[in-house]
Amino acid sequence: MPNGATFADAYPTQARHIRAAFWASFLSLGVGAFFGLIQALHRTDILRVIESQTYYTVLTAHGVFLVISFTIFFLVGVFQWAVTDSLERPPVDMRFTWGWYGLMSLGASLTAFAILAGFTDSIDVRANVLFTFYAPLQAHPLFYVGLVVFVVGTWLAGADWFRSWLAWKGDNPGERIPLPTFMVLTTMIMWYISSIGVAVAILAFILPWSLELTGSLNPTLTRTLFWYFGHPVVYFWLLPAYLLWYILLPKLAGGRLFSDPLARVVFILFVLLSTPVGIHHQYLDPGISEGFKFIAMTNTMFLLLPSLLTAFTIIASMEHGARQRGGEGYFNWLTALPWRDPAFTGMALAGMVFAFGGFTGIVNAGMNINYLVHNTLWVPGHIHTQVGTAAALTFMAGAYWLVPQLTGNRLVGRGLALVQVVLWFVGIVFMTNSMYRGGLVGIPRRTAEPQYEGFEYEVAAGSVGELNAQLAIGGTILFVSAMLFLALMVLTAFNGGTEPIDDGSIPPALSGPEDSPAVLDNLKLWVAIAAVLVVIAYSFPLASIVSRGGLFGPDIGPIPVAIDAASTVARTALEAVSAVVR
Amino acid sequence: MSNVARQEDPASVERIEHDEFDPVGTLALIAFYFAVLVLLWLFTYFVEFLGNVPTPVVVA
Amino acid sequence: MRLRTSPAKLLVLVALCLVVLVELRTALAFVGVSLSIGATVAVGVAAIAALLLWAVRPAGSGE
Ligand code: HEM
Ligand SMILES: [Cu+2]
Repeated sequence: MPNGATFADAYPTQARHIRAAFWASFLSLGVGAFFGLIQALHRTDILRVIESQTYYTVLTAHGVFLVISFTIFFLVGVFQWAVTDSLERPPVDMRFTWGWYGLMSLGASLTAFAILAGFTDSIDVRANVLFTFYAPLQAHPLFYVGLVVFVVGTWLAGADWFRSWLAWKGDNPGERIPLPTFMVLTTMIMWYISSIGVAVAILAFILPWSLELTGSLNPTLTRTLFWYFGHPVVYFWLLPAYLLWYILLPKLAGGRLFSDPLARVVFILFVLLSTPVGIHHQYLDPGISEGFKFIAMTNTMFLLLPSLLTAFTIIASMEHGARQRGGEGYFNWLTALPWRDPAFTGMALAGMVFAFGGFTGIVNAGMNINYLVHNTLWVPGHIHTQVGTAAALTFMAGAYWLVPQLTGNRLVGRGLALVQVVLWFVGIVFMTNSMYRGGLVGIPRRTAEPQYEGFEYEVAAGSVGELNAQLAIGGTILFVSAMLFLALMVLTAFNGGTEPIDDGSIPPALSGPEDSPAVLDNLKLWVAIAAVLVVIAYSFPLASIVSRGGLFGPDIGPIPVAIDAASTVARTALEAVSAVVR
Repeated sequence: MSNVARQEDPASVERIEHDEFDPVGTLALIAFYFAVLVLLWLFTYFVEFLGNVPTPVVVA
Repeated sequence: MRLRTSPAKLLVLVALCLVVLVELRTALAFVGVSLSIGATVAVGVAAIAALLLWAVRPAGSGE
């Protein structure tokens, strides 16, 4: 890229495409945050604008809009930017690039329609199955079709990036893959390996069943396939945030990335280890033996390694920046960091929340302690520190730097943007602290009315009333912060006739790829090892699940999620349960 | 105040190459982080094992 | 008015104060010290006020 030119100058068409992805993402964020606010106020019985029966429609929308649509639309934008910028070439065929964007948008719209139609009785479509869509909860087929189309869109996006890389390789034989592209390709490998699971679950079992082509399915099997995908998907949200931390944060801090080889090692570890761990979400599932759960736990603990490596590399890169800016001492260098830059501060705060939220992940991952927190409000606490902050706040902060590069406009309201990221930080701490503590005393997640007659939670400090107030205040701060972010983005998009402050260049790493063995770039090798690990971790559990329950299950009919027919639901459920027991 | 003035200036004041860079601050921060983690583990241990009464034994 | 630190750093410090406050209350309850809401708010207001005072107090006659 010519020096001093923004991305928008150098690649106008690509910039337009990435902007389109970002707008889809931001729209989802706005809608999802609104539902989040409703939940926070409803659960705590502070303000109930919906009937409690409608809560599951809201919660499904919150989950799907935020963790599927907001995150993934944003990350495909980031990845497209990273590949184009680091290979210094546009996609081979822009029509293909628009094609996968179109598929993703179509899929997201279908699924969104299926969920939102649940708010009205005039359309006979609903999908109140939450973002995990566990069978035998059943949604309208459109919900699943939309998800599949969306995922296929992401697969084609990956193919597009591999294609760009191959074209680049043809022109640059023998060169090391530029780090940003390397990160994108490895992340997509992980995504291919893992999303196969959810594709099989939907296409082979859930979709035919919802279309009444098959009369039954095996819920343990579809759940296991879901979680086969469900853990790696958290890295699909997180690795783009890592990409921004490795590529952008050192520069924003005024320094350079500490080590390029270490970054490659981290991404390879994620390819290898993210998938053979999914059973750690099923510690409480009957029908999976303890031994398999134990193996999943062990693998999970290994996964801490790449995150700890990341903590080291990122902090060292920031310290490098601080020292170049004249920072001194053991801790005093922290004051030499550019705290007035919202992009920097947002990412730094997100990293901090991630480091401590990561601890709560270790708690979830421990088989015995998991029993303490399983399905309690603790889990949404964890979710909001990780994807809801480590990823979401990093994305927002990243947007403060990226959107000016993609529009050629200067960011509007730099000071307000700083307030916005700090608000998110404060809001998340308020809300999640309450969620964690509520979870520890057993307050359940995923319920509109966690209040029970004749039963009191024993809160360690304070009362449930205080916890509720804290959750609601935190949720409201988060909502305000999200709206502020969206407003600044819209204003920036219309801020024509200006220029970004930054020139968009990325300095090279202190220790470059030439210091590392070339085998790191041997993607085929890593795919092969990852595949072997997956087979080892999953073939026995899957075989045992199928041999016990059958591929299509012990006659499990759908539980229609139509709330008005509550008695039907109860009856169907009873029948289903008795069928299993028999 | 020189410190603030430096803040306003995005350009680095000096260049530090790989070999002259000794990340002691990183070490200090990570040591601090591990100390907090140990405390958190202790906390969890007490909540899990000492804070809860055993599951009541229901005798039929 | 001259600040001892930049407004941005002050903002981040205030946010950190709030965080420490919320978490500290939980941690203290664990060792048997339970602060009431009123007390927590009072400590918070005092801490933040002290921080702001430190920031705006003229940094001596030097510099
Ligand atoms: C505007 C800020 C937000 C508020 C007020 C909010 C509030 C909530 C609340 C209260 C719950 C618990 C619902 C329950 O279990 O009954 C929840 C669940 C959840 N939130 Fe958020 N949230 C916000 C932002 C986010 C973001 C940014 C993400 C992810 C990017 C996210 C992802 C989730 C997920 C995955 C769940 C679990 C859904 C489920 O159980 O199916 N939230 N949220
Ligand atoms: Cu997981």
